[in-house]
Amino acid sequence: MSASTRVVLVDDHDLFRAGVRAQLGEGIEIVGEAASVADAVQMIKELDPDVVLLDVHLGDGSGDAVIVQVAPERAGVKFLALSVSDAPEDVIAVIRAGARGYVTKAISGAELTDAVRRVADGDAVFSPRLAGFVLDAFRSGEATASDAELDQLTAREREVLQLIARGYRYKEIAARLHLSPRTVESHVSAVLRKLQLSSRHELTRWAAERRLI
Amino acid sequence: MRIPQVERSGEDVVVAGVCAGIARTLAVDPTFVRLVFALLAFASGAGIVAYVGAWALLPNPNEPEPARRRRRIIGTVLLAWSAILALTGLGLSNSIVWPLLIASAGAVLLRRESRTAGVALIVIGIILFVSHNSRGSATTLLAPGAVGVALIAIAGPWAWRAASDRARAEERADMAARVHDSVLQTLTLIQKDPDDARRLARRQERELRAWLYPSTATGTLADAVDAAAAEIEELHGVRVEVVHTGDAVLDERTQALVLAAREAMANAARHSGADEVSVFVEPNAVYVRDRGSGFDPDAVAADRRGLAESIRGRMERVGGTANIVSTPGEGTEVELHL
Repeated sequence: MSASTRVVLVDDHDLFRAGVRAQLGEGIEIVGEAASVADAVQMIKELDPDVVLLDVHLGDGSGDAVIVQVAPERAGVKFLALSVSDAPEDVIAVIRAGARGYVTKAISGAELTDAVRRVADGDAVFSPRLAGFVLDAFRSGEATASDAELDQLTAREREVLQLIARGYRYKEIAARLHLSPRTVESHVSAVLRKLQLSSRHELTRWAAERRLI
Repeated sequence: MRIPQVERSGEDVVVAGVCAGIARTLAVDPTFVRLVFALLAFASGAGIVAYVGAWALLPNPNEPEPARRRRRIIGTVLLAWSAILALTGLGLSNSIVWPLLIASAGAVLLRRESRTAGVALIVIGIILFVSHNSRGSATTLLAPGAVGVALIAIAGPWAWRAASDRARAEERADMAARVHDSVLQTLTLIQKDPDDARRLARRQERELRAWLYPSTATGTLADAVDAAAAEIEELHGVRVEVVHTGDAVLDERTQALVLAAREAMANAARHSGADEVSVFVEPNAVYVRDRGSGFDPDAVAADRRGLAESIRGRMERVGGTANIVSTPGEGTEVELHL
């Protein structure tokens, strides 16, 4: 990559932001930090960064509110959700709002750096936990013939997700399934697209519940 | 605002468990509630009608959802009827009871979605009351009656809100206590003894998570693997991340799967040198992976009984398989299938 990746960090805990700042590796520049939805929206529109690292819970709202307000005006900004939450509805809500991936806060510095780069390149980043949620939501036994193409996963996509859930990296998945890393990435992106556009019952229910809170 | 859930009691049943259910929600003795219903029965049988109404209205914990709506309507009508019986039984004339009832219905609607309907009913109640009681001896009752109606309309929702505020405050206090017990204790320990703190912090993270995001299943495969992972973390101070999709009941075969997986986690924690172990659970398979030193599975010393006996032997005895993939320098994955 020629220029460094410009990142805005949105999290309501100072301590956590300091930790991420210290951990992010070379080639990544934190150009701004925000602790609330309102501040984040204004800052992102102003700085137009490559990637926004976004906490799912903020003091004055949830992460998906930031995406909803920013995305229409700044289509180039990519969001990567970062959370301690184990609740599927939190994660699914921020992904459906448009985030390109989700990682847990326990992630190592090197892995986070890698994830930011990949999101900046337009790839989707799934943590093992997110892969588990998605497999649950698209459980094979519940798929019916009437399901639209968007509402089910292909056998290959399922295989890739399973390996992500088992802790494999893209390169390792590619080697195991005799695919190119590029193909693995396109499968994951396809799953992300389905996750965002599917009207599958479980997903809409999660999204609906989230809006009621 | 959360409405406290009243359910009929499934265990403490004299007639249909209505009194015990109400008593449990109010946190009072069931005998007291039964007494109130019995006394009300003397007011032209209002207690009996009220009991039947409450029986229709309150859900039975063991009963499915359908047919609730019709029961709700019947129950509400019966409760209103019992209120009429009770009030006339107390010696109040119809010209007071009916306006009061209409205004109360208005107050209830006011709390739901239909504001306008609620206000309209209250106004109708007051007008009825005034028109029926403005002449003759009842005039003396006009002022206190109107005040009563107004009090119900205002104080009802207020009392409700006060109660739910209190519930929320209690929830907050509970949360504060929880955070104090775990997080603060850990922070204190970090300053004194960083080595122990890591293990303690991890355990408390697990406990806090279990409390915040309670698992819906207990006694299942996923649940048992979670518990095994927690034990290994505790024993070896290594992080074990468990991800699941789907779940299965615990029987002899899945039990063997859990024990084999536990042994695989213990091996990874003991020998791999990795500081994290990934576990993925499916209804009929468990995968345990580390990114540690790895080994040559063919060259494992004969005294490493764990691998041969506790993992392979255990899976084969229940008709399953154990496949171990390991590369020196890259880590190990144990695949367990039923």
